Amino acid sequence: MGSPCEVLIESDDEVLSKKLIDVVATEAWRIEDKFSRYIPGNIIGRINSGDGQPIEVDEETANLIDFSFSLHKMSAGAFDITSGVLREAWSFDGSDNVPSNTRVNDILARVGWEKIGWQSPCIHLPQGMQIDLGGIGKEYAVDRATAIVLKLTNQPCLINFGGDIRASQTSVDQRGWQVGIESLQNDQTTQRVIRLQQGGLATSGDSHRFLFKNGIRYGHVLSPKTGWPIPDAPRSVTVAADTCTQAGMFATLAMLRGAEAEAFLEQESVQYWCYR
Amino acid sequence: MGLAAADAAVTNNNDCGMTGKKPNTTAAALASATCALLGGISAEPVQAQEEKDWSFDTALLYYGESDSRVQDISLNVLAIRSFIDDRILSLSLGVDTLTGATPIGAAPFNGPQTFTSPSGAQVSTRSANEIPLDDTFLDTRVALAATWQQPLGRLNTVSAGVSISDEYDYLHLGANFKISWDFNKRNTTVSLGLAFANDEFDPVGGAPTPLTPMLDVGDVSNRNGDQSKNIVDLVLGVSQVINRNLLVQLNYSFSNADGYLNDPYKILSVVDSITGDPVARVPTPGIQGPSHEYLFESRPGERTKHSLFGQAKVYMNGRILDASYRYMTDDWDIDSHTIDLRYRWPLGDTRFIEPHVRFYTQTEADFYRTSIIGGTAFPTNASADYRLGNFDAITIGFKYGWKTEAGNQWNTRLEFYSADGSVPGNLLVGNQAGQEMYPDLDAIIFQLGYRFGK
Amino acid sequence: MKKVFCIFAALSIAGCSSLGVEPWERDVLAKEEMQLIADPLDVAIDEHIYFSKEASSGGRGFGGGGCGCN
Repeated sequence: MGSPCEVLIESDDEVLSKKLIDVVATEAWRIEDKFSRYIPGNIIGRINSGDGQPIEVDEETANLIDFSFSLHKMSAGAFDITSGVLREAWSFDGSDNVPSNTRVNDILARVGWEKIGWQSPCIHLPQGMQIDLGGIGKEYAVDRATAIVLKLTNQPCLINFGGDIRASQTSVDQRGWQVGIESLQNDQTTQRVIRLQQGGLATSGDSHRFLFKNGIRYGHVLSPKTGWPIPDAPRSVTVAADTCTQAGMFATLAMLRGAEAEAFLEQESVQYWCYR
Repeated sequence: MGLAAADAAVTNNNDCGMTGKKPNTTAAALASATCALLGGISAEPVQAQEEKDWSFDTALLYYGESDSRVQDISLNVLAIRSFIDDRILSLSLGVDTLTGATPIGAAPFNGPQTFTSPSGAQVSTRSANEIPLDDTFLDTRVALAATWQQPLGRLNTVSAGVSISDEYDYLHLGANFKISWDFNKRNTTVSLGLAFANDEFDPVGGAPTPLTPMLDVGDVSNRNGDQSKNIVDLVLGVSQVINRNLLVQLNYSFSNADGYLNDPYKILSVVDSITGDPVARVPTPGIQGPSHEYLFESRPGERTKHSLFGQAKVYMNGRILDASYRYMTDDWDIDSHTIDLRYRWPLGDTRFIEPHVRFYTQTEADFYRTSIIGGTAFPTNASADYRLGNFDAITIGFKYGWKTEAGNQWNTRLEFYSADGSVPGNLLVGNQAGQEMYPDLDAIIFQLGYRFGK
Repeated sequence: MKKVFCIFAALSIAGCSSLGVEPWERDVLAKEEMQLIADPLDVAIDEHIYFSKEASSGGRGFGGGGCGCN
C-alpha cells in the first residue's frame, strides 16, 4: 500500500487479536499483489501490457472497473482510471519541474475512459493506454478487511491503511477512536482530532506532493481533461462516510471539483473537513 | 461502449438500492456503487464527530428576591479543554455581585427596633411589625475551580480538582478527588469521591462571641478575629444503564463540617416570657446602641450530614425526563426532601423547551427558635436563622434553548422560587403568635447562557 | 419518592447481568442531553443558590458551598 498499515483492536484476547491482524494483513497483501501497478504480471500489469488486445478479467477486477466507471459518470468524467499515464510528465517532488503544454497534450491523447472497450468481463485498452486502480485500492482493501473482521468478532476494531480508515463498530464505551488529521505543515502535529465510533474516514491531500513554480502551487490531483492539476483544489479533504470507500471517493471527487469542493460536499450533506 | 454493461452491474444488486440517501445525488449513486463493489453488504451509518480543543459554557444570572432583599448578578464561565486519550481539563470562573437586605433573626413586634450594624460603627432603626433586615449587605464573590480528569487503565477514570473562592469576609480553599470504575460493558459505573475544604471567616467588625449581647456603637469587647471551619465530603455513587432509554444513578453522601459554623451577622431577640415582646435596653448615655436585648446566634461546632440521591434519565421519543430525589438528614435534626423534575422537549431540530419544577421541604434544626426568653438560663445553641427553620419551597420555571447555524447554543432560563415557612406553635411566645414570624421568600431567577466550541 | 426506591430495589434484585445495552445501542445514551449532568453550569448555579437559601446541599456531587452565605 506504500504506507504503514495498522489494526487496532479493543480486546484482551491475545489469540483473537493475532488472528485478526493475520487475516487483515493477508487481505491487504492479496489486494496489493493483485492490483498494484508496481507489480508486474498481475491483472493490472496484464491489462496495461495487452498491446491492444482484449483481456478477460476475474469478477473482483470487473467489480472494481465497474465501480470506477460509475465514479467516472458521477464526476462527469473528472475521475478517470486512465489518467495515470500523465505521471510520465508530472512528478510531484516539490520541485519547479512543470512540464510543457506540448508534452502534456501528447500524453493526453492516451487518456480517457471513453477510449476503452469495456464489456464485462472483457477490457480492451488501445495501445499505450493504462489503467490504475490506485485511487480506489486502499479504501477498497480497508473495507474488505473490515468485512472479514466483522465475520470473526464483535470486538471494536479500527483498520488504518495509510490514513484510509474504517472503524468496524462502536467501541464499548461509545467514545470512539480518536483519529488525528495531520497538519498541513507536515510537522507531525495534529490539526484536528476526529472521534470515530463507526464508519469510514479518508483523506485526500497534497501536503507532500506538489510542484511550485513562479508562485503557483501545482497540486497532485490532475484533470484527465486538461492534463493539468485541478486549479484551486483544497490542500486536504477529509470525509467521514459509512464506508472507507465512500469516504475516500468523496474526498477525491471533492478535490476534482477544485474551488467548488466545499460547495459540493455541503450539497451532498457529507461530513467533511476541508483545508486550503 | 460498455456503458450498458456497467449500468447493469451497478444496479443489478437489489440490496444496494436502499441506501437511505436522497435519490439523484452523488451520495446515493456512490452508496449504491460502493455497496455493489463490496458484495451487497450495507454498512452501518457512520458515527463521527470533530473533537474540539476548547468548549465554553457561559451564563449570566440575575437572582432577585422580592421586597428589596438579596439581588445577585453573576457571571459564570466553564471552559473545557479536551486532550488526546480522554484527558480533560475543566476550568470554571464565577463572579457574583450581591446587594440587598437579609433578615437578621430578630423577632418582629409592635414597636420600632434599633440595631447596631454588623460593623459596630452605626445604628439603624426598623419600623414596628416588620421582620428586621440588615441592608448593609454588599459583597462580591470570585470563585475559581480547576479539575483534571483522565483514564486510569482501561476501565477507570480519575479526577482531581482544586477550588478557591474569595469574598470580602470569606476565603474558601478546597481540593477534591474522584475515582470511578466501569464494568458490565460500561453499563455500570461505581464512583468514590472525596473533598476537603478549609474556609476562613473574617466577619465585618470581627466575629462576635456566640450568645453575647449586641453592644453599643464602638464597643468591640465581644468581637474576635478570624474563624475557620474544615469540611470533609464523601460521595459514593453507582450509575446503571437499564436499557437504551433509561439511565439511573444512586448516590450516598456524607459530609462533616467542623469549626466555626455560625453566621456572625445573625442574632436572636431576648423576649419577655409572657408578652413575647423584646426586652427593652437603654444604651450608654451619649452613645447610640440597640433598643432591645439581642444575642448573637450560637450553632454547634460540628455538623454531620447524610444524603441519599437518586436520579433517573428517561428518553421518550426525543423527549427527556430528568427526575431526581434527595433525602438529607443531619445531626442538627434537619431532615429534607427534594424532588426535581425537568422535561426537555425538542421543538424541531434546533430548539427545545425544558419546563422545570422543584419541590423542597425541610424540618427545623433542634436549636432553631424565634427568640430567647429573658431571665432564664440560655440554651447552649440557638439560632433564629430562617434557613434553619421549618419551610417548604417550590421552584417553577422553564429553560428555552436554540442552536445557531454554527452549532452553538443560546439558552435562557426563567424561574420563580418561593419559600414558605412556618414556626411551630410551641416556639411562639405571647404576642409573637400575632406576628408574621417567618420571613417568607419569593425570588426570580433569570439566566442567559451561551455555549460555544462544542 | 417511593417510586425512586422501587427502581433501585428492582435494580438490585435483577442483578446487573440482564441490565444494560450493547455498545452499539448507545446512540441515545451518548446524547449530551442524556448525560446525568447535562447542564453543568445550571447545576453549579442552582447548587449555589439553594446552598445559600436552604439547609441542605450536595447529594448529586460534593456539598457545594465555599461561600460565606450560609
